Amino acid sequence: MAMITKKKIGTVATWIMTFLLMIVICLPGLWVVLTGFRPNREILAKPAIWIPENLSLDNFAKIFGFGAEQIAIPVPAYFTNSLVIALTSTFIALLIGMSGGYAFARYRFKHKNGYFLGLMLSRTVPGIALSLPIFMVWSKLGLIDTKLGMIIIYVALNIPFTIWLIDGFFRQIPKEMSEAAQVDGCTRWQAFWQIEFPLAKSGVASAGIFAFLTSWNEYALASQLTRSTDSKTLPVGLMDFTAQFTIDWAGMSAMAVIIIVPALILTFLVQKHLIAGLTFGGVKG
Amino acid sequence: MADIQLNNVTKNYGKLEVVHGINLDIEHNEFVVLVGPSGCGKSTTLRMIAGLEEITGGEISIGGRVVNDLAPRKRDISMVFQNYALYPHMTVRENLGFGLKIAKQSKDIIEQRVNEAAAILSIEDLMDRTPAELSGGQRQRVAMGRAIVRHPQVFLFDEPLSNLDAKLRVQMRTEIKRLHQKVKTTIVYVTHDQVEAMTLADRIVVMKDGHIVQVGAPLDVFERPVDTFVASFIGSPPMNLIPGEIALQDGRLHVVFQAENTMPVPRDLADKVVEGQKVIFGFRADDMMPKAHSLPILGEAYDLRLAVDIAEPLGTETLLFSTFSGADIQTKMFNPRRVEPGEVMDFNCALDKTHLFDAQTGKSLRG
Amino acid sequence: MSSDHIQPRRKRSRDWTPALLLSPAFLVLIFVVLVPLLFSLYTSFTNYRLIRPETLYDWIGIRNYQRIFSDKHFWSAFGRTIVFLTIALNLEFILGLGIALLINRITWGQRTLRTIMMFPMMFSPILVGYQFKFIFNDNIGILNNALQDLGLSDGAIAWLVDKPLGMFTIIFAEVWMSTSVFAILLLAGLFAMPRDPLEAAKVDGCNPWQVFRHITLPFLMPFAFIAMTIRSLDVARAYDIVDVMTGGGPAGRTELLWTMIARVGYDNSRMGQANAMAYVSIMLSIAFTYYFFTKLIAARKYMGGAE
Repeated sequence: MAMITKKKIGTVATWIMTFLLMIVICLPGLWVVLTGFRPNREILAKPAIWIPENLSLDNFAKIFGFGAEQIAIPVPAYFTNSLVIALTSTFIALLIGMSGGYAFARYRFKHKNGYFLGLMLSRTVPGIALSLPIFMVWSKLGLIDTKLGMIIIYVALNIPFTIWLIDGFFRQIPKEMSEAAQVDGCTRWQAFWQIEFPLAKSGVASAGIFAFLTSWNEYALASQLTRSTDSKTLPVGLMDFTAQFTIDWAGMSAMAVIIIVPALILTFLVQKHLIAGLTFGGVKG
Repeated sequence: MADIQLNNVTKNYGKLEVVHGINLDIEHNEFVVLVGPSGCGKSTTLRMIAGLEEITGGEISIGGRVVNDLAPRKRDISMVFQNYALYPHMTVRENLGFGLKIAKQSKDIIEQRVNEAAAILSIEDLMDRTPAELSGGQRQRVAMGRAIVRHPQVFLFDEPLSNLDAKLRVQMRTEIKRLHQKVKTTIVYVTHDQVEAMTLADRIVVMKDGHIVQVGAPLDVFERPVDTFVASFIGSPPMNLIPGEIALQDGRLHVVFQAENTMPVPRDLADKVVEGQKVIFGFRADDMMPKAHSLPILGEAYDLRLAVDIAEPLGTETLLFSTFSGADIQTKMFNPRRVEPGEVMDFNCALDKTHLFDAQTGKSLRG
Repeated sequence: MSSDHIQPRRKRSRDWTPALLLSPAFLVLIFVVLVPLLFSLYTSFTNYRLIRPETLYDWIGIRNYQRIFSDKHFWSAFGRTIVFLTIALNLEFILGLGIALLINRITWGQRTLRTIMMFPMMFSPILVGYQFKFIFNDNIGILNNALQDLGLSDGAIAWLVDKPLGMFTIIFAEVWMSTSVFAILLLAGLFAMPRDPLEAAKVDGCNPWQVFRHITLPFLMPFAFIAMTIRSLDVARAYDIVDVMTGGGPAGRTELLWTMIARVGYDNSRMGQANAMAYVSIMLSIAFTYYFFTKLIAARKYMGGAE
């Protein structure tokens, strides 16, 4: 009897803890999302209005330039910039990452761990520290405030981790697959595209989504290297809502929703592969 | 003609040489098994024939054509891998047809050849499954089907049965033998299991530490091992090996063991040894049997008494374990009866089937 | 069989394919990371100011380094960064371990919980900063509103301004964002954990705590090191959070090395001095990553042996 009650208490405690945990994880985000649908006067009201009275899409209409109220912040342009920069840099980083990841997974060469560490260390450089010299070099090359400039940086930023992940996914595929295909009449190139790539596809896709999100979310470099609607991305644009002493909470929250939603959807799509990739790439030497 | 020649083939990984100048001629349609303990270079040799490992030195030719610099796909070979290496994202049918598709064969030919291979291996009902939905034995069959579909000049097998359980292994062994009889092709087969080697091979190639130790028909290798390594590696249980010294007793050369035990030198070996020579005396368990429980002995028989420590009944025969001059030896009892531990029994030894090896080099003195 | 047949092949045995496959990655990194860093190493020895280009050639030796090393603001920012990292990483590990053990006990709805757990990881740091700036806002933040409406506090608590609270809120945001990295990897470790050693330990008479301490935890450590390595790769993203939440202020109370670099480099346009600080921050990051990476490699080895 005592055993059973003890077990029951344990189960209930587990659920209560989990419930609290989920509240801590979800509530802040949900509150911001909710705020995105509320008007400023309700947000600023004192005493606080807990149950929303006016939920509408007005804030979204506003920041995208429809509707009655207009704001001076060109969110559609930022959105396009973010999308173009993130997609292009992801695509290039994936190509380079596949090539490098395959080399780490399939070939033996000297100082392999050293090269790998070198790649990782390049990712270690704090964005803000890297932004200083890139600022100087880019201004000489005329790449400041251009999408191309940001794309090049994000490719470099994403290469190390893309290689880490893709290396892990390729290593999960037995080497014999490629060998069997070569005996079956494939060139190494054909064997890669016909056998190894299809098998690693989902892994490559999740590495891609991870890279996309890194570019999509990046702030430290973008905030220093972009200026205008030519290249400013959403995270940098978010700060446009902050004036010296006032903050447009409603508009900012609506914009936050626009940044969050793709991230949430993509996370949901890849979570399984991503965990597998991280652990596999790391643990098996 | 798909004969295979290996001429002085070596393989290095960096500075480490793992295969040391191998010479081997494999005839057309011959079933050759490379056998040896792990790390003996057998798989590396097979992979060099396949083109999956670069050849460091020497020359390999298939069907009279030097293939050293040819990619695997140009060698007209097919290979069955230890873990089968079936393509997980393709159905069995697609797996079988993949090689032909790559070779840009017409749909009709692919269909016909795939069905033909499926019929040979009786996997017709599995054609639309994926490898994940197959059992170990079925995967094995599909892997073999994928190999035969392309009608290659040479089949290569890399330990294909080692992932199967014992029962299935015996069954698939028979199927591989049957396959070779149906599809006459040169086969090179690698295994560490000497039973597989004995049962399958036309010729066995025993390897050790990157060298070929002995090449021959299974029974030749079994009956006339060139050295103590082959003697203990081929055959189960392994040959009993007991060190001793040659001495003249009662007008005949004997091997004198520790503790004053002796055994006469077989007559055909008498002129191969001299007094005082250190040797290793070898005999198989089947050639030392308790009296009244033995098979008929051809040639000279020799009697001796042994205490039996442990008996392992196997059904039609019982394995007996004893100690003889400090060495653990195994003997065999046919038409067995119950044996008490410690029981002393009279044995018959088939002296003409025993072996003598040089103690220093380990080489057989039958030469 | 003449030897001239064999000779050319020996030469070929060195395979350049991996070098070819890796070259794009290294070329990009050399262009975007290495070259700029060498350039900034040079400028850290000059008196370079953005507004006066000719100062790029004004070589002043190690004076920038002397200046920052004798600056007590720099040292307090440096110390704060170390404290920040130590507290944040340890909290993330402990909380992550707790969460992993918790989720591992749950059988129903576990996948959903795992997915939800990943969301903070995918949030833009700038959003995390904004989100908590909003929540901790002294005037309209949900936290103060809740405290006041529940009668737990009568005045507005200045979460982002007050001296110890400012640092607390920043660490809270950081931990909220990054704990899931640990939780997810440790959970993956728990899934991969073989049952036999656990059962053997129970049979050998270990109590649950001993089983956890001597079997589970050592097995999980490589996974913790992966998480640490991944985290150490971008510890500096805390810059985004701080920049949004407090901008390093007020009066430098939440100033970290990274916000200080931005202020000195861009706002005060003392590039040379900022680059000298940047090098200190880079060394710090490299030290962190190198430490955890070597731990990971060592752990990998014995994991390999266990298989």
